[in-house]
Amino acid sequence: MTQTVTDLSNVRNSVEKANGLPNEHYIDERVFQEEKQALLFSQWAGLAVAADVPEPGDAVPMEFLGMPLLLLRDKEGHVRVFQNICRHRGMILVEEPRKIEGAIRCPYHSWCYSTKGNLVSTPHVGGPGHNTHEAIKRDDLGLIEVRSHIWRDVVWINVSGDAPAFEEAMADVMQRWAEFELPLYHGGHDSRFELEVQTNWKLAVENYCESYHLPWVHPGLNSYSKLEDHYNIEKPGEYSGQGTMVYRQLTNENGEKFPDFADVGAKWNEQAEYIAVYPNVLLGTHRDHAFAIILEPKGPEKTVEHIHLYYAVPQSDEGLRMRNTQLWKTVFEEDIFVVEGMQRGRHAANFDGGRFSPAMDGPTHNFHDWVASKVETHRAKAKAAE
Amino acid sequence: MKDLDTRMITAHEANDRMALIKLYAEAANGANDLDASCFYLTHAYVFALEAGAPQAKDLHAQLVQHGREA
Repeated sequence: MTQTVTDLSNVRNSVEKANGLPNEHYIDERVFQEEKQALLFSQWAGLAVAADVPEPGDAVPMEFLGMPLLLLRDKEGHVRVFQNICRHRGMILVEEPRKIEGAIRCPYHSWCYSTKGNLVSTPHVGGPGHNTHEAIKRDDLGLIEVRSHIWRDVVWINVSGDAPAFEEAMADVMQRWAEFELPLYHGGHDSRFELEVQTNWKLAVENYCESYHLPWVHPGLNSYSKLEDHYNIEKPGEYSGQGTMVYRQLTNENGEKFPDFADVGAKWNEQAEYIAVYPNVLLGTHRDHAFAIILEPKGPEKTVEHIHLYYAVPQSDEGLRMRNTQLWKTVFEEDIFVVEGMQRGRHAANFDGGRFSPAMDGPTHNFHDWVASKVETHRAKAKAAE
Repeated sequence: MKDLDTRMITAHEANDRMALIKLYAEAANGANDLDASCFYLTHAYVFALEAGAPQAKDLHAQLVQHGREA
């Protein structure tokens, strides 16, 4: 296989001197495949939310970068992720979202698995009516489980299986929002939506994590949340984002608001933060609601954004919820033309990756530096293996 | 047996697992030799397992008794 090499030497320079990532990192299929390994499979990436499988036995087949996976809540209520294939002939096990009443039966030769992934039946494997064979050790042939962890209801997966433990890898961001380590309640069907965007997933991260664009792209925010009310969040090698000091709670015509998350402290009365947790999860938190956006890379130039809104109580006001969903949908839709515009801009052959405002673009540069470091590590490993 | 075949085909077409469990168990009872009986028992067991049906336990026990299941 031809080694994919782009020049990243100046990406990791200081923000004053650095260029952004080269065009190939947004438009080249080979680099997309390289980044699949370097940035997504080797890290803790967002796959879905636990609210996608609310009840024991709920199963949702999904693809993550071409890999067939099965999101499942087992009979004891634990969310698990398996490769959605039978250990016999590699047949896809579950084609549509459904409830697993008992066992998962492969539709091909009917090998059966428990919701914990154990192989529990191998019909006729020793000949007609003989359901065991000494060569087929059921204990060795359970479903292939993908390492997963739930935090802030997001189902994070580490496909390569060798990333540090989730709590270790995410210790800093978990500590930053430790006050919000409280139950989150998904708002339900009115609190989820998807946006299909013609852009590379990284541009969605880059746009999300900086506040520089807010007064131009989201002019509605200027009336109460001005650029100077925002601050940058930068944690090298881990995450970046932005915060505001003037979060204003949503109210309805009766002046009612969402209930607050209990005891989060006065600091959060008017403060809110928006953090891109690398690689592909965008989180927001406020005193009274939170959201998670999972970026699903569908190709070098196509991304699906899965947006979920959460509240402090299980039964929040439906009217307020719908108003809040619409508010955020409007904001995120306002961003589409810029991420799609930057994507088309990456086909300009002489673009050098661009330059950063040292004052305003630190969070974006932080992300580029992370991307470059992970890609360089991946390339070094690949070279050492040659 | 022809009637049973017809009912099985109908149950398969309707994906009626409860009927399939019952019909395959009936076929197992009516079979003349052990291999044929265990073939049908296996199908009844698999559909019961898939459905989370209580019959799975007894069907499993029968197969184990004949040395056909772990």
